[in-house]
Amino acid sequence: MLGDLARALRLWRHRRWMLLGAALVGAVSALLGVALLALAGGAVAATLAGGAAAAFLLLRPLILLRPLARWVERMASHDALFRVQAETRIWFFRRLADRLPAGIGLRRMGELLGTLVSDIEALDGLYLRALVPAFAALAVVAAPLLLLREQPLLAAAVTLPLALALLVPMLIAPAAGRAAARAAAAQGALRHAAVEPLTGLEDILAANAERRVGAQLAAAGAGLAHAQRGIAWWTAGAGALGGLLVQAALLGALAWGLAFGAGPTAGLALLGLFLAIAAADSLGLLPRAGVALAAAAAGARRLFEAADAPPPVAEPANPAPLPVGSAIRFERVGYAWTPDGPAVLDGLDLQVPEGARIALLGASGAGKSTLAALLLKLAAPQAGRITLGGVDIATLAAAEVRERVVCLTQDARLFDDSIAANLRLAAPGAPDAALWRALDRAGIGELVRALPDQLETRCGEGGARFSGGQARRIALARVLLSPAPVVILDEPTAGLDAETEWAFLETLEEVMAGRSVLLIAHRLVGVERPHRVLRLAGGRLLPAAG
Amino acid sequence: MESSSAKSEGAARALLKREARGLRRHVLPPVFYGAAVTLAAIAGAWVIARLMARLLGHGDAGWAELAWAAVLALLGAGFGLAQERTMLAAGETARASLRGRAFARLLALGPQDARGLGERAALVTDRIEALDGYFARWLPAALLAIIGPALVVTAATWADAKSGLALAITGALYPVSMALTGIGAAQASRRQFAQLDRLAGRFLDRMRGLPTIVLFNRQAAEAAALAETAEELRQRTMRVLRLAFLSTSAMELLAALALACIAWRHRADLGGGGDPTVGLFTLLLVPIFFAPIRAFSGAYHERLAAGGAAAALAPLLDVPAAPGLLLEAMPPRVVVTFTDVRLTYDPARPPALDGLSFRVNAGETLVLFGASGAGKSSVLRLLMGFARPDAGRIAINGQDALSLRPEELRRLSAYVGQQPHLFHATLADNIRLARPEASEAELRAAADAARVSDFADTLPQGLETLVGEGGFGLSGGQAQRVALARAFLRDAPLVLLDEPTAHLDPRTEAELIESLQRLCVGRTALIASHSPALRAAFGRSIEMAAGRIAPLGRAAGG
Repeated sequence: MLGDLARALRLWRHRRWMLLGAALVGAVSALLGVALLALAGGAVAATLAGGAAAAFLLLRPLILLRPLARWVERMASHDALFRVQAETRIWFFRRLADRLPAGIGLRRMGELLGTLVSDIEALDGLYLRALVPAFAALAVVAAPLLLLREQPLLAAAVTLPLALALLVPMLIAPAAGRAAARAAAAQGALRHAAVEPLTGLEDILAANAERRVGAQLAAAGAGLAHAQRGIAWWTAGAGALGGLLVQAALLGALAWGLAFGAGPTAGLALLGLFLAIAAADSLGLLPRAGVALAAAAAGARRLFEAADAPPPVAEPANPAPLPVGSAIRFERVGYAWTPDGPAVLDGLDLQVPEGARIALLGASGAGKSTLAALLLKLAAPQAGRITLGGVDIATLAAAEVRERVVCLTQDARLFDDSIAANLRLAAPGAPDAALWRALDRAGIGELVRALPDQLETRCGEGGARFSGGQARRIALARVLLSPAPVVILDEPTAGLDAETEWAFLETLEEVMAGRSVLLIAHRLVGVERPHRVLRLAGGRLLPAAG
Repeated sequence: MESSSAKSEGAARALLKREARGLRRHVLPPVFYGAAVTLAAIAGAWVIARLMARLLGHGDAGWAELAWAAVLALLGAGFGLAQERTMLAAGETARASLRGRAFARLLALGPQDARGLGERAALVTDRIEALDGYFARWLPAALLAIIGPALVVTAATWADAKSGLALAITGALYPVSMALTGIGAAQASRRQFAQLDRLAGRFLDRMRGLPTIVLFNRQAAEAAALAETAEELRQRTMRVLRLAFLSTSAMELLAALALACIAWRHRADLGGGGDPTVGLFTLLLVPIFFAPIRAFSGAYHERLAAGGAAAALAPLLDVPAAPGLLLEAMPPRVVVTFTDVRLTYDPARPPALDGLSFRVNAGETLVLFGASGAGKSSVLRLLMGFARPDAGRIAINGQDALSLRPEELRRLSAYVGQQPHLFHATLADNIRLARPEASEAELRAAADAARVSDFADTLPQGLETLVGEGGFGLSGGQAQRVALARAFLRDAPLVLLDEPTAHLDPRTEAELIESLQRLCVGRTALIASHSPALRAAFGRSIEMAAGRIAPLGRAAGG
C-alpha cells in the first residue's frame, strides 16, 4: 500500500515545493487557531495570577488573521492540487494510450478506462484529504507538548489522547480499504444487474420476468448499500473515536487541574483545556483521511498495474519505411488472447488485394474483431505474419500502419465535442466541404443540415445527443473521411434500422471508391456485393455463400 | 433552451420534494439523534464550565462533575453513531424505492426507448446513487441547521439573555453572508458550473474513447488538448472557489465575532471578578452553535449533485404507468385479427405499418414474408406490446388486445426475437427464464425439443455450462436453439418468431425449421422471415412490402 502511494507522490515530485508550501500554510493556520485559544487560556491564567492581561490585546488581530489564513490555505492547496492533477492525468493518458489493448481486446474497454478515471480521482484525495489535514493535525498535537512542557504529567494527559487520534486514520486505513474494495465489487454487481436485463430487454419482457430482474437489481442494490455501510461505519467510528480522544484530552486537563491545580498552576490546566479544544478542529478532519488514504492506495495500485503493463505490441527499434502498396496478407496467423487460452485464430490465411471488398462472417466470439485488432497492431500474432504492401507489419511503426488502415470498431465513440471536431479526428485539416461529403455518404448529412448549429452541434457524452443509429452514422462518416486506403468496418450497421442499413450497404461500393474494405458482420443483408465472402470458424476462414 | 432547463429544474425539485415527503418517517430519526447530540454537547459544556470555574476558584464542582462530563461525551458519541446509522438507512430506503420504480418504468417502456443502453443503465445506478446524499445528508442537515442552533440559543438565553441574543444575531447573519458569497455566487453563475462540468468531464470522455483516439493516431494531439483544458479548468475553478471559500471564512469570522461579543459581555467575571461559570458556558456554546451550520454547508454540494440526477430521473418517473386490463384466464386457443392497423415510429419516415389487415386462425401458422423493413417485425412487436398502433384494431379471440396491459398481453405469447440474448448464467437457467417454476423434466423436454441437448451433452457440464458474457461462446445457431427452448418451455398458446433462421447456414436452418414445426403444432403462430426455405416449410404465408400486404402476395399460401 505505502509503495504505491510513495510512487504516486514521486509523480508529483517536481511540484513538491508548491504542495509542501500549501500544506505548511495549513499547519500555520491550524497553529493560529491554537495560538488564539492558548492566548485566551494564558490571559485567564494571567489574571488568575493577578497580573495584567496583555495577552487579550494580541487576541484581536489573531481573530481576523485566522479566517484569512484558512482561506489562503484552501486556495493554495487547491491550486497546487489542480496543477499536479492535470499532470498526473496526462501522464496516465499517455501511458495507457501506449498500452491500450493489453489483453482486453477492443470491446468494453471504454468502461474499464472509465473506472480508472475514478481511481485517478481517488488519488487526488491523497493530498487534499489525507496529507494536508495530517500536516495541520501534527502541528496541533505538537503545540501542547511544547507549551505544557513544564508540567510533564499535564502535557502527557493532553498530548497522549491527541497523538492517538492522529494514529486513528492509519489504523483504520487497511480495514477501510477492504470495505472500499467490497463496495467497488458490489458496484460492479449492481451495474451488471442493471445492464444485463436492459441488454436482453426483449427476452426479459417476453418471459414476463420484469419482477424477477427487478428483484435481482434490488438485491444488488442492497448488496451495495451493505458494502457502503461498511465504509460509512469505519468513517463514523473513527470520527467518534477521534472526538472521544479530544474529549479525553480536555477532561485529562481538567482532572489534572482538580488533582494538582491549586492556585496559579490552575491556569496551566486551563491552557491545556483550551489547547484540546483548539485541536478538535484539525483532528476532526482526520478520520475521513483514513478512508481517503485507503481509497487512494487502492486506486494507485490499479492505476500503476495498468500503466506498467508492457505494451502488447513492441514498437520496432528501426521501423521499416512504409511500403507503397496497401495489399494485405495474413499468412498462417495464429492468436490466443491468453497464453493458455484457446486459439482464436489458428493458421489463418487471408489475402486482401488493393481495392478488394471482402465480407467476413462468423458467430460472435469467432475472432472477427481479433482479426481487425491484429491488423491494427493492437495485438501481435503468436504465429505467422501479416504483411502490408509486402512488408511484415511487425517491422512497421504502429502509427504508420494506422495511417493506412482505419477501422470502424463496434464501440467507436463520439466525443462530447462538436460534430466537426469529432470528424476531424480522422483528418485534422479537412475542410468543411469534405466533412459534409462524408456525412452525406454515411446518410446523415440531411439530419445534420437541419440542426441549428449544423457542424458545430455538440454530440454529448458518447454521442448521447443523438440516437444510437444517428451516432453510428456519424462514426461511420468519420471513418469515411479518413484518407486511409484500407477500411475495416466491424458490424458497421449495428444499431441502424433495417431501412438505413439497407441504404448504407447498398452504396458501400460507391462510397468506398476503390479502397480495400473488410466488412465484418454476422450476416449479410444481400445488397453488399462483396468480391468475396468468407466465414470465420474454428480459427480459419472458409469460403461461404452470401 | 432556457425555459426547458427551468422546466426540468422544476420537475427535479418536485420529484425530490415528493420523495422527501414520502420518506418523512426515515428522515426524522437522524434529525432526532442530531438534536440529541447537540443537547448532550450543551449539557457537557455546562459541566465543563463549572469545572473550569472551580479551577478559577468558584463553585464546588469536583470529580463527580468530571465523571458526568465523561458520560456526556460518551453519550454524545453514541448519539452521533446512531445519527449516522439512521442517515444511512434513510439514504438506503430512498435509493431502493427510487431504483425499483425507475427500473420498472424502464422495463415498461420496453425496447422502443430511444435512450441508449448506457444512459438507461446509468439512470438506475449512478443517477440513483447520486441521490443518496440528498436524503441521507442534506435533508437532516437542513433541518438540524435550524433546530441545533435554536436549542443552543435557548440554552444560552436561559443562562444569560444577552449572550443568547449575540448568538442569535450572528446566526442570523450567516444566511446573509452566504448570500453575499458562496451560495449566492454559485446560483448566479450556474452557467459557469455547466462549463466547469464540461471541462471536468472531458478527461473521462477522452479516456473512455481512448481506443478511438489511438486508432486515429491522435493521442499526442489529445494529450496536448487535455493539458490545455485542465489549465482552463484550474483557472475557472479557482475563480469559483475564491468565493466559495470566502463563505467558509465568513462563517469562521462570525464564530470569532460571537466569541468576542460574549467574552466582552462577561469580561468582568472572566477577568477574575465574579463567578465565571455562565461566561465560560456561553463561550463553550459557540462551537456547538456553529457545528450544525457547518454540517449544513458541508452537505450543500449533495443537493447540487442530487439536482442533476433528479432532473434526469424526473421525466422517467413522472410518466404514469399505462392503465390496462388483466388477462382473465389463459385461453387455450388463440385467433389473431389485424384490422387496418397503422404504426409510425418516426413522423419523418414512411409508416412501418400502413393499413395492415389479416387473420390467423387457432392452431394456424402464418409466415410473414418480405424484405427487411417491410414491417414484419412491427407486427410481432405490436402483439408483444412493445409498441402501440396509431390506428386500427388488433383483436385476440375477438376481444380488443390493446385494452390489456402490455405485460398481460405478453403472457399469451412465446416470443423469440431477432437476436436473442443469452444471460450470464447456465444454459439451464437461460432456458428456465421463460418459466422459472418449470420442473426439471419439463426443462429437459424443452431442451430436447429445441435440440439444445444435442450440443449441450457434448459439453463437460452439459446444461449447467455457463454461457453469456465471459462464459462459453455459443454459435449463432446454438444461441437460437436456446431461445427456441425457452419458447418450448413457455408453452404459450401464441408463438411469435422474428427471423428465427436469419444468421444460419442452410443445413443448420433445415434442422432448426424441423424444431420450429414441432413448436407450432397445436398453437397459433406468426413467423417473420425472409427465408424461402422457411416459407416453404409452413402452410400459409403473406408477403409484406412497405407496411402492407404486397399486391402479388395475396394469392400466396392457402
